[in-house]
Amino acid sequence: MSGYAIDPCDQCEEMIQPFLDRELSEEERQVAESHLDGCDYCRKRYKFEERLRRYVRQAVTESMSPELKAKLAELRTPLI
Amino acid sequence: MAAVGETAPETEARRLAEDARDRVRFEEEALDLADQVYRVARRMVSSREEAEDLMQETYARAFRSWRSFQPGTNLRAWLLRILTNLNIDRGRRVQRSPDMQPLEEGDYFLYNRLEESTQGQNPDEERVLERLSQDDAVSALSAVPHDFRDAIVLVDIGDFSYNDAAQILDIPVGTVMSRLHRGRRILKQELAERAVADGGDSR
Repeated sequence: MSGYAIDPCDQCEEMIQPFLDRELSEEERQVAESHLDGCDYCRKRYKFEERLRRYVRQAVTESMSPELKAKLAELRTPLI
Repeated sequence: MAAVGETAPETEARRLAEDARDRVRFEEEALDLADQVYRVARRMVSSREEAEDLMQETYARAFRSWRSFQPGTNLRAWLLRILTNLNIDRGRRVQRSPDMQPLEEGDYFLYNRLEESTQGQNPDEERVLERLSQDDAVSALSAVPHDFRDAIVLVDIGDFSYNDAAQILDIPVGTVMSRLHRGRRILKQELAERAVADGGDSR
């Protein structure tokens, strides 16, 4: 806790998740990007979060079995 | 049911043909999205069998009620909305958010723990995540309470916007954001525990 109302790194930290979710407004994105340009610490944090997310996403992704795919297709309304 | 005005038989035939064509198109589009729907569904429930049952129930219901889908809106979100409702109907209660102590370190938790455990070796985040296995991610994610997990799965794996996730889960956008925030913290805490437990000699 820095004790300051607006610490640029705190503000940047708060933007990490919506930034990676592509949910920031154009204006907010620019604020985040210009801070990131000059702040090694925050840039490192962003990179870490991004990598973490990619790892989780890849690790937990499981494909559907061909059997299930076939079963779903069978649920279609038969053509008369 | 009385038709207003007269309907010539050929007009009626054309209407039926168009209806059938629309339905076929709907079914094809829905099936094309099945892989993406499954990836999300699989992580909303705990077993593959459950996910497969849920997918079949979802598609059966979607094909039955295809007319209630508004063309031009997000079909993937519509299918996941059905799936989420069925999942709740199957007995999963909507979970009250547990009262949790805010984590002291919040978002820095995993980062700090991983840094600590590579002490003295000039921590390299490029490599710390490599210490976590695929199973670590799966078990850490399933340890997240399901309300929080659903938000993470929809946004991070399903690539849904906060708005779409809010509609699918039938909760306000602000709630999606707070569940994501808290859920990701819990996920990181779970991952940190596994990373430290693996002690650096996991894959």
